Amino acid sequence: MKSIHSPERTSSRCTDGDLHGPRNPFEEFQTFAFQKREIPLDQIVQSAEQVMDQIRLGYEKLLEEEAKELVWMVQYNTIIKAYEVAERYIKEIDYTAEDIEDFCFALENTQKIPYLIPGPAGIYISALCNYAKEGEIVLKLSELKTEINLIGFRLPKEKRLTVEGDTGDFTGISLEGGELVVEGNAKNWTGAGMRSGKIWVKKNIGLHTGEWMMGGEIYVGGRVRGLGNIVEGKVFERDKLVYPGKVRYPNQYY
Amino acid sequence: MKEEKLQAIIREIWPQLRKKHLYPEIPMPRIRSLRDAPEEEGEKGQGVGLEMKEKLMTINPLFISLMEGKMPEEKVMEALLDHGIAHYTFCPWDFQTHLMIYAEAKQVMGDKESAKQVANYFIDVIADTHCVKKKVTEIPELHRHLKKGTVQEVISSLCQKIWGIDLGVSASKSENRTHEEIVRRLARIPYLDRSRWSESIRKFARSLKPLILAEQREQKGKGGKGESNPQGKDDLDHYSYEEIDNGLREYARKTMGLSQFREVVEDFSEELKEAGYGAEGGMGRGRSTPIDADILFYMKLADNYSIPLRKIPLEKGGDLHPHSHSPWEVGSPYQDVDIWTSFGKIMPGVTQVWKKKQGKGREKIEGVPDCLIIIDSSGSMINPRKNLSYAVLGAACATNAYLRNDSKVAVYNFSDAPMGGRDILDFIDDREAIYKALCKYFGGGTALDLEDILPLVKKKSPPDLFIITDMKITNLEALIGFFGQIQNRITAVHIGENPYATRFEKAVEKRKNINIFKVKKKEDIPNIVLGSIREYFNPEDKRR
Repeated sequence: MKSIHSPERTSSRCTDGDLHGPRNPFEEFQTFAFQKREIPLDQIVQSAEQVMDQIRLGYEKLLEEEAKELVWMVQYNTIIKAYEVAERYIKEIDYTAEDIEDFCFALENTQKIPYLIPGPAGIYISALCNYAKEGEIVLKLSELKTEINLIGFRLPKEKRLTVEGDTGDFTGISLEGGELVVEGNAKNWTGAGMRSGKIWVKKNIGLHTGEWMMGGEIYVGGRVRGLGNIVEGKVFERDKLVYPGKVRYPNQYY
Repeated sequence: MKEEKLQAIIREIWPQLRKKHLYPEIPMPRIRSLRDAPEEEGEKGQGVGLEMKEKLMTINPLFISLMEGKMPEEKVMEALLDHGIAHYTFCPWDFQTHLMIYAEAKQVMGDKESAKQVANYFIDVIADTHCVKKKVTEIPELHRHLKKGTVQEVISSLCQKIWGIDLGVSASKSENRTHEEIVRRLARIPYLDRSRWSESIRKFARSLKPLILAEQREQKGKGGKGESNPQGKDDLDHYSYEEIDNGLREYARKTMGLSQFREVVEDFSEELKEAGYGAEGGMGRGRSTPIDADILFYMKLADNYSIPLRKIPLEKGGDLHPHSHSPWEVGSPYQDVDIWTSFGKIMPGVTQVWKKKQGKGREKIEGVPDCLIIIDSSGSMINPRKNLSYAVLGAACATNAYLRNDSKVAVYNFSDAPMGGRDILDFIDDREAIYKALCKYFGGGTALDLEDILPLVKKKSPPDLFIITDMKITNLEALIGFFGQIQNRITAVHIGENPYATRFEKAVEKRKNINIFKVKKKEDIPNIVLGSIREYFNPEDKRR
């Protein structure tokens, strides 16, 4: 199929055939020249796949290390340790914000990634966001079936992370000055231990919001289901300041 | 005159185009007569270059005129035809792939119109990219001169990036950073990897969604329907009736989801009706009443299963018997294929099917009696119009088996029959009417009224009985007693396991004319052998 014949050669064969024997019924096909052309798409797709392989490998290594703990508990030490491991692998990868989004969807594809452990996955994605080259990252995750926990962990100053869709528990914990925007709902313990920065949740937020929060602001477009024990900082519900305030008490459901 | 000139150009370039695309089986395209152009199309009609209907591509001469001075006529036509042919030879390739792409797009977009729009853009990008990568084509030149709306501008920008060819879309032109970001996202999609199209279309739709929604809002504000696609609409007009039939069958088999199938069929109901799908639901042509998507689902799904039906000696005025051969066509059923003369191959031009002919004289020949299907639609059974019901699927397969052998089928659909919860359909060969009766759901108690069944069973030539139930029947003992009295061949299929089914099995185990099958999952359905009598094929069993 790939062989290329010049027209002259074909015509000489044709004459030979006429003179010396029956004509080849497939003669017409011989002049077909298969032209394989490289287009930039090939390069873009190939390099995106390579980066994805590296990101996947890093995640698998993180899981290997975390698998030593039989139960992955969301505890300060566990999170810090997992984050440090994630940092170690991520620093070596050259990736973009789109790669992070692709990784989030790959997590749901069991053929590509065998395990989705919500804790380490969230830590890993947070580390990816924190070390991304871009200052502004948009993750279009509204079709994702799983809500990712711990997203926005330690988001540094001058970084803005927008998540289209809902997020899980521990969203934006230990925020370090960054801006986290959740276009949907966020679950419990959002903004726990955050030091500075801003969290916008366009819809509703769960319990223990801002637990041990040391500073920064949380803006909620819908309802706040429950506040945590806040040390310092501000929480707004539909533009109304609910913390500090006299009306709301920690962990009360309303 | 102009049309004739253009038709002459097509005649000249068509052999080269066919060769370039490895000789696709597509008729020679034609130029649309200016008289054929609908008046209301007006200026918008000029903007559409290509129409495709049942593999026939038609070029709009007004579009060619619009491109005058920008591109030579033959180049415009070559580019349009390259694009059109790539739809047949690469993407979407077949109707089932088209449905899959649309269904995935709808998951992201939410509504029918924008899903169709985004699926069309996706299909176009793939077809054009395929041509640019694999063929020598004028498509990039055509893109350079096309009139573009906002979305088309972004698509051109994407093509410019992934093809590495200047299409005249400058960075400053592509409005702002948002568009650049969208293009960056779109450029990462592996368009030419067919195995990843379902994942790719989701990503494509996700990235393009804000732009398409904004454009729709803008057009709503203007009161217009928006720009038409210059390369033609990628709708179902492309496909022949047989391709649609085949595609629906495959789609039903792959999804196995009633709601998913229903949604797609309802979204494309206009196009399907246009293609000949009406109340006949896959049998016959012509416009008709709305499509019953649920019935169509069971029809197409049942087509995927073939249940063997054992014949018995019947006194008949001449049965149908294989008489001569005729060529098999794509989309035709396989059951009449003669494997010997087809060399064991399913391939148009090679495969042959038996043509049957009515025999002469009265004699005892092997034949298939009519069948009475007794189906349980009580509350303990699945509602076939809400979820996939194996009972209905099993009964549908049985229906197909009998109808295929030119027998008739009657239906007794029951729930609490003595209280009026039953539907009786006399022996007929109208597949759709039978399926309608099978899909009826009462959802009440479970009791049979044997008085209803008796007239159907006591025919001159005794029919076969096919009962499908979970056996949780209030008057099960009466049914067992009734079965004990009749000699008809009975195939009893029970869904799932329960003490009632065990009781029934025990009670009739010595009856040679009753065969019991259990259906737990769809894979069990082909195991049903209709009307098999043990001793008929195994005399040893009779002696025992």
